[in-house]
This record gives sequence, structure tokens and C-alpha cells, in this order.
Amino acid sequence: MWTNGDHLASIGAVLGAIGLALLTLGLVLRWPMTIPWAVLLAAAGYLVGRLGSSGVDGWAALIGVLLLTSAELASWSLEHDARIHAEPALIVRRLATLVALLAAALFVNFLLLGTAGVGAPGSVLLIAVGVAAAVGAIAVVLRLARA
Amino acid sequence: MTRYASPKLAAYAALSAVGLLTALVFGRPELVALTAPFLLALAAGLALATPPRLTVHVEVDRERALEGDEVTAKVVVSSETPVDRLDLYLRLPDGVDLVEGRNPVALHLRAGEQRELELRLLARRWGGHLLGPAYVRARDPIGLRAWETSATARPELRVYPREDVLRRVLQPRETQVFAGNEVSRRKGEGIEFADIRPWAPGDALKRVNWRASARRSELWVNESHPERNTDVILFVDSFAEARQGGVSTLDLAVRATAALADAYVTRRDRVGLISFGGILRWLVPGTGLVQMYRIVDALLDTQIVLSYYWKEIDVIPRRTLPPSALVVALSPLLDDRSVGALLDLRARGYDLAVIDVSPVPFAPRPASGLDAVAYDVWTLRRDALRHRLQRAGAAVAEWRGDTPLQAVLEEVRSFRRYARHARV
Repeated sequence: MWTNGDHLASIGAVLGAIGLALLTLGLVLRWPMTIPWAVLLAAAGYLVGRLGSSGVDGWAALIGVLLLTSAELASWSLEHDARIHAEPALIVRRLATLVALLAAALFVNFLLLGTAGVGAPGSVLLIAVGVAAAVGAIAVVLRLARA
Repeated sequence: MTRYASPKLAAYAALSAVGLLTALVFGRPELVALTAPFLLALAAGLALATPPRLTVHVEVDRERALEGDEVTAKVVVSSETPVDRLDLYLRLPDGVDLVEGRNPVALHLRAGEQRELELRLLARRWGGHLLGPAYVRARDPIGLRAWETSATARPELRVYPREDVLRRVLQPRETQVFAGNEVSRRKGEGIEFADIRPWAPGDALKRVNWRASARRSELWVNESHPERNTDVILFVDSFAEARQGGVSTLDLAVRATAALADAYVTRRDRVGLISFGGILRWLVPGTGLVQMYRIVDALLDTQIVLSYYWKEIDVIPRRTLPPSALVVALSPLLDDRSVGALLDLRARGYDLAVIDVSPVPFAPRPASGLDAVAYDVWTLRRDALRHRLQRAGAAVAEWRGDTPLQAVLEEVRSFRRYARHARV
């Protein structure tokens, strides 16, 4: 006998599968605009799957980073042009940039969910503002480092 | 410099906005966690994006080359600001191929760094080729924004046709007044013996033919043919061409014209050029190495330009076509205007020789059907056209490109010799 939670989880899985299929289609047909829609569908699938449950899911930190990873790799794949000879150092540099970005995102997410776990329930606005502030601070640091 | 945002920037911004709003609506901190990485990528990308200050220019190791030569082009790019990813592409004109080197290339530039990219290029086809522009596209580390620019200065590579060496060229019927290598039919001061005649006051003693004088008991002197130069006009038909792959009738005509110009200039003849086509060009006859370079430079600019304007030979200045000049025309006989001009030249009494640079090898015969019939009719009409020119008194030879130019010239020479005998 299926419960409401199982039903939502299966809808979420279907949404995620559609997102994956859309991403695959976009990669095959080289349509860059399918990437955000695929990410959106996968995130919606996760949200639908979590609707029945209460509390903060710690895996969301990793899922957010995985979504960004898939979006970045898909963009890289679509941008790639075999006619352009990229220097090996450039590829290494791009990989390092991506890894650093993902590590920073994971760190921010852990901080965020840790704060949400110990904070008062219903303080999402505060969390969102906090995330924006943290991201802004990182941006300022990067800008200063670049200068 | 053109700046533009990549589709990723709009996509990440939209995802971040939707994610944060949904998190607020549903009151779920996990959605903020799903959104935060995109927000971070967006912020990092915009923070690290600095407009590059790039300088790009292209150099070539030499400005002139022969067909088949290799030249080295150098693309020098420098930046005052760091560029995480720079795509660099030097556009090569048709007729210049890349032999060695990477084009396009993606590289990283540090602040103040200068990079030089060497490209070995093959000058495959004659012509005045403009290298470039060199396009550059700089991106920020995350790939959210890009800047594009190109090098405005484009070096020119002039590729001269590699011509055949001709042992013998067509001899004009009439010679001019200046000294040259052609034995004139007239009598005068020269080396070639022509005749003897009675002595007249003013004749030099060295010209006295003592044997004839002893036999006739009066003074007789030798007469000789003087060596004179000739006027030769090379007529290149640039109304139409037949092309297949990288070769065309115009290529053959230009190479042949360069070879003929070289041969005639070596004989100290005055050589002029008429490029008769959509764009009309002419060179007044001249002699010497300078004239040779003028002709070849003018040939490099020859191209097929579509034109419906009916041109006649009257449009060419009179002094470009000196009287009693030999006109050597190289034409695929594809355009009625050039055929009309050639017939007009012949009707005006010019000594005309036509080398029909045949377009037939460039158009293979269809296997069967109406196309094959049309092809056969076309070739028959071409034969009729050549016959029409021959009836008008012009020597015509078909050149299919697979035989040396010298062989075609010999065919024209034999026709002219035969025609002369027939007239006598």
C-alpha cells in the first residue's frame, strides 16, 4: 500500500528523470537553454520529494553542489569546439577554478544548513539574507584578490 | 571591444531568483542550499570579470611569395589585464592554407604578458591576399561574460603565379621602331642579310658587297633586316570563369599571361595588359623589368566580377592598343561580350591570336539524358565559335590545361604560318 510520502517521492523521481532526459537531449542537440530547465526540474523533483517530511535535510548541501556541477560540465561540453586547440595549462586552470567553486559552494551550503539546523524554524528569510551576504562577501574578496 | 553576456549568466540569475523565492514561499532552507551554489557562481563570475585591455597584431615574414611557397605569419597578442581564457583566431583567405601551427587556439594570459603564435602558411593560389582579421574573445573565469575584438591592421601577402618558362613565343607580324630581338621585314641597319642593291651616296663602306660589285663592275651594297622590338598586348578575359575544386580557367589564364609577359619583356618587346571583364583594367605598353612587375601586380588583382554592363572595345584608351600590335587573348570564350570585343579587334586590323582556355575539362559530361545532349550542343557551339574567330583571321588554339603552354603556342604559331601562306 502506497503512502502519501511514497507518492510524492515517486513524482519527485519522475521530475528528476525528466530533468536528466532534458539535459541529455540538450547535450545531444547542443541546445544550451535546456540546462537551466533541467536543473529546475531536478530541483523541483527534490522539493516534491521533501514536501511530506519535516526538518532540514543535510544532503541538500551536496545536491545543490551536484546540480551546479552538472550545469557547469554541461556548459563546458556545449562550449567545447574541437577546432579550437586549448593549451593543456588552460584546461587544468579551468578544472581548478571549477573545483574551487564547487568546494566554496559546498562550504557555504554546510554553513547554511548547519545554521538552519540549530536555528529557529521558519527563519528562511533570515537564512536567505545570510546566504546572500556570505556570497556577497566572497565576491568582494575575489574582486579584491583579482585587483 | 564588444562586450556580451553568455546565456549562462541569465540562466544562473534566473535559477537563483526562482530558488530563493520558492524557498521563501515554501519555507524550506534546503531550497536555499540548492540555490546558493548558483548564486555563488554568479557572484564569483561577476566579481572576477574585468574588461581586458588587449592588443593584437599580425605580422608576415615577407610580403611577396610565389605560388607554393611557405611563409610565416605571427600573431602577437598582449594584455595589460589578466585574461583567464582567450580564444584567438586568424582568418585565412581562400588561397592561403595553414601548414603548421594552431589556429584557432585558446590560451591564458597573465597581466602584462605577451604571446606570439607562429603559423606556417602555404601560398596555394596567386593573388593579393589580406591575412586576417585576427579575432580575439576573452572570457571571465566562470564564463559568464565575454569580450570580443579584432585586429584592424591586416597585412597583405602578394602571391605571384608560378609561370612556365617559354622557349619561343608568337612573333608579331609587324615590328616597331625601337631596337629589339625581332627581325623586321623592313630593310635597314641590322645583322640578318636581306638583299643587295646599287650603292647610293651616304652608304657606309663596310656595307659594300665586294663580290657582287666585282661581278657587276659597280658598287653594290648589302641590305639587312634590322632587329626591332614589337608591341604585344595581353588580353585577359575576366568576365566569366569555369571552376572546379581549387583550379579555374582564370588561374590558367593568369599563369599563362605572366609567362607570356616574362617571355616578351625578356625579348625587349613593349608589353601591355588589358583585363577585360566586370572590372576593366589596362596597362599602357612598356618595356623592362618594371613593366613586368607592373603587369604581374595588375594580374594579381584580376578577379571575376559579375556585371551585366555591355562593354565594347571602345572603352579601352587608344594608346593602350597601339596600331600593328599583336594581341594575345586568353579567354574561356564563355561571355559574348569578350568574344564580341575580340572580333571587333580583328575587324580593326589587329594581329590577333586567341588561346581558348577551355572550360570543358571543368564541366564533366553527364552520363545520359537531356543533360548529355545539352552538353554536346554546348561543345559544338564552342567549336563553331572558334571556327568563327578563325574565319575572321584570328589564330585560335584550345588549351585544356593538361598540356604545356608552349605546345599551345606552337599550335597557334603553326596556324599563323599556314594562314600567311594561304593568303599569299
